[in-house]
Amino acid sequence: MSVFKIVIAGVGGQGTLLATRLLAETAIAEGMNIRIGETYGMAQRGGPVMGHVQIGEVYSPQIRPREADALLGFELAEATRRGVTYLKQGGLSIVNSRKIPPVEVISGMRRYPDEEELLRLLRQISGRLAVFDATGLAEEAGDPIATNMVMLGALAASGVLPFGKGKILSAMRKNVSQRFLELNAKAFNMGADAFMSST
Amino acid sequence: MGNEAIVRGAIEAGVRIAASYPGTPASEIGNTFAEIAKEMGIHFEWSANEKVALEVVYGASMCGQRGMVSMKHVGLNVALDIMEMVALRGVKGGLVFVSADDPSQHSSGQEQDQRWLAKQNCIPVLEPSDPQDAKNYTAYAYELSERSKLPVMLRTVTRVSHMRSNVRLDEIKRPEREAEFDFDEFSYVKAGFDKLFYREREANEKLAKVRAEFETIHLNKLKRNGDEKAAVIAVGQTYNYVMDALIKLGAKGKVAVLKLATSNPLPEKLIGGLLKGVDKVLVTEEPDPFVELHVKAIAKDYAPKVEVRGKMSCHLPGEGELGSSTVDQSIADMIDAELSIDDRTDLESEARNILFDRMLTLCAGCPHRPSIYALKKAVRAVKGDIHSVVVNGDIGCYGLAWSPPLSYEDTYFCMGASIGVSQGMAQVGVDTVAWIGDGTFFHAAIPALINAVQNKADIKIVVADNGVTAMTGFQPNPQQGRTATGESTKRIMIEDIARACGVEHVEVVDAYDLKAAEEAFKRMLKMSGVAMVISRRLCATEAIRQMRPNRPAPYEVDQEKCVGCQLCLSTFGCPALSFDDEKKRASIDSTLCTGCGVCAEVCNAGSIGRRN
Repeated sequence: MSVFKIVIAGVGGQGTLLATRLLAETAIAEGMNIRIGETYGMAQRGGPVMGHVQIGEVYSPQIRPREADALLGFELAEATRRGVTYLKQGGLSIVNSRKIPPVEVISGMRRYPDEEELLRLLRQISGRLAVFDATGLAEEAGDPIATNMVMLGALAASGVLPFGKGKILSAMRKNVSQRFLELNAKAFNMGADAFMSST
Repeated sequence: MGNEAIVRGAIEAGVRIAASYPGTPASEIGNTFAEIAKEMGIHFEWSANEKVALEVVYGASMCGQRGMVSMKHVGLNVALDIMEMVALRGVKGGLVFVSADDPSQHSSGQEQDQRWLAKQNCIPVLEPSDPQDAKNYTAYAYELSERSKLPVMLRTVTRVSHMRSNVRLDEIKRPEREAEFDFDEFSYVKAGFDKLFYREREANEKLAKVRAEFETIHLNKLKRNGDEKAAVIAVGQTYNYVMDALIKLGAKGKVAVLKLATSNPLPEKLIGGLLKGVDKVLVTEEPDPFVELHVKAIAKDYAPKVEVRGKMSCHLPGEGELGSSTVDQSIADMIDAELSIDDRTDLESEARNILFDRMLTLCAGCPHRPSIYALKKAVRAVKGDIHSVVVNGDIGCYGLAWSPPLSYEDTYFCMGASIGVSQGMAQVGVDTVAWIGDGTFFHAAIPALINAVQNKADIKIVVADNGVTAMTGFQPNPQQGRTATGESTKRIMIEDIARACGVEHVEVVDAYDLKAAEEAFKRMLKMSGVAMVISRRLCATEAIRQMRPNRPAPYEVDQEKCVGCQLCLSTFGCPALSFDDEKKRASIDSTLCTGCGVCAEVCNAGSIGRRN
């Protein structure tokens, strides 16, 4: 059986873990096997976060370099960092254009890399590259914390997952607090629309 | 999650008591117990440290109750004193302890392989490969512990503790056991001094029985058809890499595989039998060549000509996690298989050249940042040069004091060491500041503090007190007046302990009040003898969690008043601040700002204020 592999890249505090968990809950509800490896170390302190999600029969929780079918990049530089290592040639990249400058940039030790440079690298490896301001959409939906749902919506709309949008939304209803459901669903749908209208 | 599966396994086995001290990658075991303990009738506590945790659980074990202790690998260093006695005296109720090791040091200061300590102390070790194993092995560990009367180590690595996957559950058993101290087994008076005092032989005999059990235990899985010339002994989590490699290489069925769950004591006959039939064997494990060394010893007796490959033979790296690519290559080498690699090193090095590392930093609004900032100013004012004192840090978020732009911490070692090493420096005439957090203070600093007072050490101590064990997920500490399961209890304050230990100069300041903190630090630096300032303010992330969904009003930079000096960024460096290179003005990200207002105190131009 084929295995579907996604790499999720971001920064601590961006809610990548919840996005990962909703994918897992959806897969389990659909009777599929899932294996997730998360690398977060001390990410609460602004460090990089990476999630490897594999749907299907597989042993290792870590995806081999250049074998991921899709890259879900919550932050531009982190997306580039993980994409060049893990995305298979011609894979799908969905990337939030919002930048989170690290302390090296804030304190003036380094500059944030040129956006065009990063996109050039991503273009070289991606068969399809969708870049949009997911955090901006989440703010429009009501709270920047819902960036994760915007990203998930875009991934669902891409059609690469072995399950549809509706299945993820029903996992969201079961696993996310009622209080935030409307916001999350709105953000999810905005992400789906953003993917469809990206070129 | 692997850690959650461990708790499930313990519950299925009828665990009655659990204790832990938070530490990544083990913390979620305690977090999960804290959530379900009341409902399940389990006593769970965050203990003061790992040694106390083990003592608590051992006490219950001597009364016939099943218990679990969990800790990150280095926690066992702290608990080792009692661990050794538990192994020698033996257990009654099953005692399982989890050592969550951290190969590649994802969240640790050292990469320690705790199987050596298990070996040293006659403790059986089980190593799960995934969450399903973690649950199943835990349940089995209780049976084994009670049969052998030994504590059992469930040894995970970060990749197992933090792995998520489907887990098939089994039935929860809640056997009602009478809690009764077993005088005949554990009392010096009843059992007799001679029986309890010298127990090395008993421990060895117990371990021999465990070894016999491990020879045939179903957890060790040998896949072999008999005509393979090569084999892999895949220990714990590395089994995943091995199986994926065999699939990739199309070598399934060409290489015999022993999935080894029991790394101490090794099932000698099982391994010896495997070695007899092959020319080469590769041992995969993390991070040390623990099994490999013992396989070499077995090979000497059973199959002296077999080539044992692994870390000692340099076929695998001697430190760190293994990873799929490494294992693919080493198996391909062993069986002369082709391994196609579509390389992308050029693009990867291009990316590395333009990317930053994304160094760790204290969160936006973190109270430690102003504490360090004020401490630097105070040292400069009193001593002239900020590097005229050695800043000895400790273990926790505040250990990030070394990171730019504050860059003010010279050393950190292990829990509580800041106060100890500072004394040695002070006793030979070197000025120091010990920089320690509240959680760490309770864990390991109190004997060192008493030592300083008794021995007249001239040391200055700053307690970075943010009210929670933040680094590992905001677990409560003794100052909060609540237990792990949310019951209210007596608050124990650091200033009271310090005064009771004989520290005469103890001040408490608000970490957000830069001026007051700076003045308090100056007074401390001018004192002779042991002097302490507690810089107190609740962790900003925890404060926001408690306010949710509300947030304090953020601060903003008045673009007219900002002079573009970047002082706020280059000397303070809160992640909510940023600088617009074109406009030459600073600004504040309102989604990150926690409204602490300290940057407004830092700004000389008076350009920062609370947003209306």
